[in-house]
Amino acid sequence: MNPSIKQKSDNTEYGNVPIDFSFVLASSVHDMKNSLGMLLNTLSAMMENSPPRDADQARFFSTLEYEAARINGELVQLLSLYRMDEQTMMVVIDEHHTIDIIEEQVARNDSLLKSRHIEIQVDCDIDLIWYFDHELVGGVLNNLIVNCARYCRKQLLVSATEESGFLCISVADDGQGYPDNMLLGPLPQGSVSFGSGNTRLGLLFARKVLELHKSKKGQGYMTIANDGPLGGGILKLYLP
Amino acid sequence: MADLGYYKMHALIVDDFENFRGTLYKMLMDLGIGNADSAASGEEALRFCKARSYDLILCDNNLGKGKSGQQVLEELRTTDNPCSDSLFILVSAESSKGIILAAYDYEPDAYLAKPINPKALDQRLSRLIEQRVELKAVRAAQKAGDDELAIKHCKELVAKGSRYANTCQKLLGQLYLAKNDVAAAEEVYRAVLDNRELEWAQLGMVKTKLAQNDLIGAQQWLENILQANPLCMKAYDLQADLFKLQNDTEKLQSVLQKATDISPLSILRQQALGNVAQQNNDLLTAANALKRAVKLGEHSCFDRADVHSLFAQATIDLYSVDKESAKPLVREAISCVNSLEENFGKTSLRKVESLLLESQLQVCAGDQRRAQEALASAQSSFGDNKDASALPIQIEMVRALRLLGKEDEAQQRLNDLLQRYASDEDQLQRLDVLLDEPRSEKNKLMVAEINKKGIASYNAKDFAGAAEAFKTALQKLPNHIGLRLNYVQAMIDKLKTRFDLGVNERIQQTFTKTNAIISQQHPQYQRYRQLNDVYNNLVRAYEKDKRG
Repeated sequence: MNPSIKQKSDNTEYGNVPIDFSFVLASSVHDMKNSLGMLLNTLSAMMENSPPRDADQARFFSTLEYEAARINGELVQLLSLYRMDEQTMMVVIDEHHTIDIIEEQVARNDSLLKSRHIEIQVDCDIDLIWYFDHELVGGVLNNLIVNCARYCRKQLLVSATEESGFLCISVADDGQGYPDNMLLGPLPQGSVSFGSGNTRLGLLFARKVLELHKSKKGQGYMTIANDGPLGGGILKLYLP
Repeated sequence: MADLGYYKMHALIVDDFENFRGTLYKMLMDLGIGNADSAASGEEALRFCKARSYDLILCDNNLGKGKSGQQVLEELRTTDNPCSDSLFILVSAESSKGIILAAYDYEPDAYLAKPINPKALDQRLSRLIEQRVELKAVRAAQKAGDDELAIKHCKELVAKGSRYANTCQKLLGQLYLAKNDVAAAEEVYRAVLDNRELEWAQLGMVKTKLAQNDLIGAQQWLENILQANPLCMKAYDLQADLFKLQNDTEKLQSVLQKATDISPLSILRQQALGNVAQQNNDLLTAANALKRAVKLGEHSCFDRADVHSLFAQATIDLYSVDKESAKPLVREAISCVNSLEENFGKTSLRKVESLLLESQLQVCAGDQRRAQEALASAQSSFGDNKDASALPIQIEMVRALRLLGKEDEAQQRLNDLLQRYASDEDQLQRLDVLLDEPRSEKNKLMVAEINKKGIASYNAKDFAGAAEAFKTALQKLPNHIGLRLNYVQAMIDKLKTRFDLGVNERIQQTFTKTNAIISQQHPQYQRYRQLNDVYNNLVRAYEKDKRG
């Protein structure tokens, strides 16, 4: 059982308690995540036992892996958002090497990038240190890479620099760029649209994570633009 | 990348799924790791770790039945074994934060989220090994017990701008605190905090303030930390230390309660909560916390026999004041005392102790026959043991005899003991727990002081303060009728000022307990009756008021 999900039903009779839907959802997301972990393990074992015979099969495998990884990412975000909402999300800001967190997320998506023949470039001073929650920012960066891998043609660039007192991590691609409605106005204010097929959960998660990073200089934020160095979109995360 | 010596390494893989062990094994071999063993459970892993030293342990947290990965880590880090400082990576399907929240002081070198891929494993591993190599001299000095040298190495690494300067600062703070150079530790933490408000440095400040006995300063730092991060378990632990220093058992209980609400899986905090609640005479909280501690102890290296006994005792004590609340715990307490010997080894005293506790618990369960049987076999096992070391068991025997209605036999045993230890102050202090009036000089003095303090508060109409004073003595002298009645009287006056249901419940419990131990010949019996009448009138008036 997960300790950080509140046990609201403790010592009460089920009959009299109104259903706390977000709690039910969070518990079931937790179960789903465990199942998905098993699924991913079995998948990789299967691929090992019977490697793909041709390009077609390789593509099937990679689609399975990609979609499962995407579900996994979404579930992690859902759980994190639930915890932020319940104020049971732990944020531990410490000093880290920026290059480590970038390389970690690139490594995590190694097979996805390879199967899509995407060349990823990292541009970051190996001595650049900054202050953030390693796991949360890593999660945001992972989503960005997975998302860009889907929309770019063959190149991705992840770079990190210090910009007037903020750490700026940017992810640029060579795709068509972001649609206009994402460029306009402020980023989603908690509005998750189910109609468009893209719930923008990822952006909501990113925004929440950035907001949790505060210092005397201000709080984290992000920008989205289409004039990226690779010709496509560029998303920048700013951390104080 | 520099040669990290993968080929020289011997790794241990711990996972309950064969499939996963195979995948990880292959990954490690592909990375060039020299050797890898596999274990299917935490217990097996610990056997392996006692037999040889591993450079790297990759351990899943959820290992099905038996020990969890976190418990394997705790045991490796706290016991003497060849793997106490192996690189330990905790693998988990869930986000690592949930595990950190449950953990106590022992953090792995790294967390790795499933699914694991070779590239990610390589990346993480190479960073960890790089760090190990960089800090090798520091670790060696620490292991050899040469803190001065460790400090010197840390300083050098910081000065040369090492990639791991941050880790060195953390170590420096710890090293200075360990050798009680508080000023130097404070300097390290302040320097970090000047630049950025990092939690570990704030926690370090709390420790330096505690070491300087600046309790107000420590409290201020703690409040800052908890305001920014109400889930910081280390801050709760330090807050508990602070209240312990202040001897404030009420606040200690409340902070431990909060910490266990947030993170119910920490056995040490549940044990601590059970202990302090027992001291505070809050038996319901004590019994429930101890029950959880016993349950968590099943696979933990922090399990202790006295926690099991205390759970049984708290349940028995709770039964004497509140039967309804105690009932759901009795069955579990019985099974707990029945397996005392199995869990902690057979000794003749332990056997008698478990039988005596069982006989009292059977009374609570309403099974007189089993209660008598357990008592009889305890007595025959105990025989005529006159060892001083058996005194706690003798005391338990008197308790059991009383609860089973064998007053005369209990009194006779007690008289024998009082005679035998008449000139032994230490043993008399222990026997006082069974007596109406204490015999030991220390406890006589304590009663006098508490009465003085309590009565002064009472006369100044500070009823809460008075109740607090009398209550502190009740756990040490639960059979002292005078103190008990003083406590009740203060609580009744408190209830008069405001009808608080919690206070009402405590009064009821105290009356139930007093009723069980007072005889009609007791010099304070009249007073007891009068207080009872006053209280009943008060409750009647309150209920009438409520109705209408």
